[in-house]
Amino acid sequence: MKVGRRPAVLLAVVLAVALSLVGSRSAPAAHASTKAAKLTIWVDNVQKPAVDKITSSWGTRRGVDVNVVFHSFGTIRDDLKTVKAENAPDVIVAAHDWTGDLAANGLVLSLFPTKALKKQFPKYALDAFSYGGRLYGAPYALENVGLVVNTRLVKVPKTFAQFEKEALAFKRKSPDNIALAVPQGSGGDAYHMYPFFSGLGGFVFGHAKNGALQPNKLGLASKTFLNNASLIDKWNREGLINSKIDYGTAKNAWLKQQAAFWITGPWEVDALKASGNPFRIIQLPKIKYQSVPFLGVQGAMVTKFAQAHGVESLAKDLVASEMMKAGFQLDLEQANLRYPANKLAGKRVNDPILRQFGAAGAGGVPMPNIPQMGSVWAELGGAWVKATKGTGATSARVAFTTAAKNILDKIAGG
Amino acid sequence: MSAGTRALSLPTRLISAFSGTVGLVIKIVLLSLVNAFAIWAAVVLSDHHKWRALGLLAFVTAAIDAIYLTRRWTLPLKFLIPGTIFLLAFQVIPVAYTINVAFTNYSTGHILSRSEAIANIEQNSLTEAGNGASYAMTLMRSDKHQLVLALLDNSGHAFIGTPDGLRPIPRDQVTIAGGTIASAQGYTPLKGTELGSIDTELSSYKVPVGGGKAIEPQGFDSAVVLEPTYRFDARKDAFVRVKDGVLFKDNGRGSFVAANGAEIEPGWKTYVGMRNFGRIIHSPLIRSPFLKVFLWTMVFATSVVFLSFALGLLLAITLNKPGLSFQRTYRALLIIPYAVPAFLALLVWQGLLNDDFGVVNRAFHTSIPWLFDPNWARVSVILVSVWLTVPYFFLVSLGALQSIPSELIEAAEVDGGGAWQVFRKITLPLLLVAVAPLMIASFAFNFNNFNNIYLLTGGGPALNNSPVAGATDILISYTYKIAFAAGKGQDYGLASAIAILIFITVGTISAISFSRTKALENLA
Repeated sequence: MKVGRRPAVLLAVVLAVALSLVGSRSAPAAHASTKAAKLTIWVDNVQKPAVDKITSSWGTRRGVDVNVVFHSFGTIRDDLKTVKAENAPDVIVAAHDWTGDLAANGLVLSLFPTKALKKQFPKYALDAFSYGGRLYGAPYALENVGLVVNTRLVKVPKTFAQFEKEALAFKRKSPDNIALAVPQGSGGDAYHMYPFFSGLGGFVFGHAKNGALQPNKLGLASKTFLNNASLIDKWNREGLINSKIDYGTAKNAWLKQQAAFWITGPWEVDALKASGNPFRIIQLPKIKYQSVPFLGVQGAMVTKFAQAHGVESLAKDLVASEMMKAGFQLDLEQANLRYPANKLAGKRVNDPILRQFGAAGAGGVPMPNIPQMGSVWAELGGAWVKATKGTGATSARVAFTTAAKNILDKIAGG
Repeated sequence: MSAGTRALSLPTRLISAFSGTVGLVIKIVLLSLVNAFAIWAAVVLSDHHKWRALGLLAFVTAAIDAIYLTRRWTLPLKFLIPGTIFLLAFQVIPVAYTINVAFTNYSTGHILSRSEAIANIEQNSLTEAGNGASYAMTLMRSDKHQLVLALLDNSGHAFIGTPDGLRPIPRDQVTIAGGTIASAQGYTPLKGTELGSIDTELSSYKVPVGGGKAIEPQGFDSAVVLEPTYRFDARKDAFVRVKDGVLFKDNGRGSFVAANGAEIEPGWKTYVGMRNFGRIIHSPLIRSPFLKVFLWTMVFATSVVFLSFALGLLLAITLNKPGLSFQRTYRALLIIPYAVPAFLALLVWQGLLNDDFGVVNRAFHTSIPWLFDPNWARVSVILVSVWLTVPYFFLVSLGALQSIPSELIEAAEVDGGGAWQVFRKITLPLLLVAVAPLMIASFAFNFNNFNNIYLLTGGGPALNNSPVAGATDILISYTYKIAFAAGKGQDYGLASAIAILIFITVGTISAISFSRTKALENLA
């Protein structure tokens, strides 16, 4: 005890333990630095198995250690901005609407796939991952909403008038029934409402000559759209669209057969199958114009960190060549139940539900991928909420004109 | 009174506990961990050549070792050091960081350093030249072990590309298979795993083809002709647009900007002085709804605190009555809102209050627009917040009530005080001594209660005459909307500037309130 109380002896003991702790931790780390090239990929859990599969065979072929890291999809974009270079990924899976944000921040590298490979993709899928005329991502999956029709309750409508008639007739059958299960809620949902928006001639941003989106060319209060906007007031009066229906209410109503029509996407495939309801998925019939949905495109991007890590060519080889090929895209289709972006792969999709969702997306518009879109969501959704909240609703013309003005203010002044 | 002596002797007992063998072992383990962490940090810091930080680290570690290893004279420090370290780590540093960010342009498009931004513009401004000519590429090594590109264009012409330029190669010297050059005389193709090891060499490889254009490999199978759209002029410290010679100059706020206002992305992070505060004052988007939002924030926070306190106290008094049956059951039931995760409760309430389909309206056969009418939405957020806060004040009041000596109340009753009089003159003042600071804390919490607002109404419903703020937006949710859902995405600089203003506001209100509660203590 006497010895133990002498500071010098104690210090020696403490330092010895500390050094042994540090030593045991750093020994394997020193080993790792001498190893072959290592490529890190951030992937969400749904797509991880498919990415694991393709990258392990590719990695062996190229002599690379591929490190596929699970990262929750919703946080990939923001974590890429703050991650330390040592831990940063070389490749990420991404939603196309992150493109503008990530490119404007200088976090991703532009890609140049071969012409032959680009031809295998629809133009909009490549546009979706382009910003300022440059391609930043390899698209691999498409998703969009469709009109899910319960074929036991109603006939599959061919025209919008038919749809309106069927929906309202069904609603009148019972006070619990809903004409159309399209989610909004108090926060609004511009994404699910887009088919109605585009069907009336609305669009969000106009294009410049090189295809780049122009944040100041807003289509929310375009003449065409405002001229048709009185239809929204009519739908509100007759109860076709009700903004008080939120996501849960919409889903429940369709599953419990209290709604014959539901606007939803392939993420609900399991619920659709489990419901036991017979159904078909179609594009919302043409209103004044083709009622196309927003398209979400998923893909992969090469980050700026690949350069510093010395794997830039490897990352580009993986993303802009390997992952764009039909084989990989089909593997992913099996894993995440989304329609492949590669057209050759699309032709080989067997799943009938996926094919129907694919067809419902025909002619769709990719969600704008410029950072200014952040100013649009709440306003566009809010305009729909105000215009379709039943009694006391704002006229659609006023609601959308106000929204357009607010968005321009926000983009300019934020 | 025995409780008092026990409390007094606690430090002494702690010291004696830590003087034994067990204490010694714990001390050695903890100090070893601190030192191990310091050694690891020292290695990292010296790797990054951060010598000043390294010096500070060595000093602090040596000081900690000295304080805990020497004898009694450092005793007060032994207690002070851990608290100080945690204060620095969790309070001072985040606040200092926020203040620092408030004076920068840290936002979408401004997160890189200046040199990173320049490198990025140079690379990402490359475009496919002309008609976007591309080559099928095979990587090979020459006899002298030099890396070359064996290139095959669309019409079947073969070339060898080196950093010196492009040289055609006769067809009889190459074999072509599967659309690429399989072999070429005098060169050895690189295969398989070799490719993984040449990345650094390959990614900067350029085959100049004149006019500033160059063939650059993309991956391992193809190469494209690229030309830059911008060229960095180091002498002028500006970017030049190659096409027309337009100059993009540093605008001092982290961007290269042309005379006509066109801006090259990305920019970089830099200090911009008081600009973010200037925007709060000058931008009509921020300024015009500010007062309205501020007033509603005050109303919200104040009414939640007072209603919760009133209700919590009422319940506490009721359930404090001796001899009440099922007392424990009632108490347990009352604490439920406190035990359920708040975000879940909020989402459930959102469903319950749904105007057309919610349980509340259906059960009472009413059609109150709980979430869609501005004023009713304000009522809803206050009601739900009160529901979430009552258990807290119930618990606190119950504890405080039980600590009021019953002699005092009995004496007041003997003196002829009525129940209300006793409550007002004796119970409430004594209670407030304990509860008032907690009410102030609760006010500060609710002043910034982002979750309740955002999850229940999202700040909505939207008001017709206000672009950003909805009817139930409080300052913090409104800040979020301005800084993260307007303009060009995320604006951390602006958000930090507003956060500082909110901090000053809440701080001032709390300070004033605390000084008032001092008066209460004197009264007691």
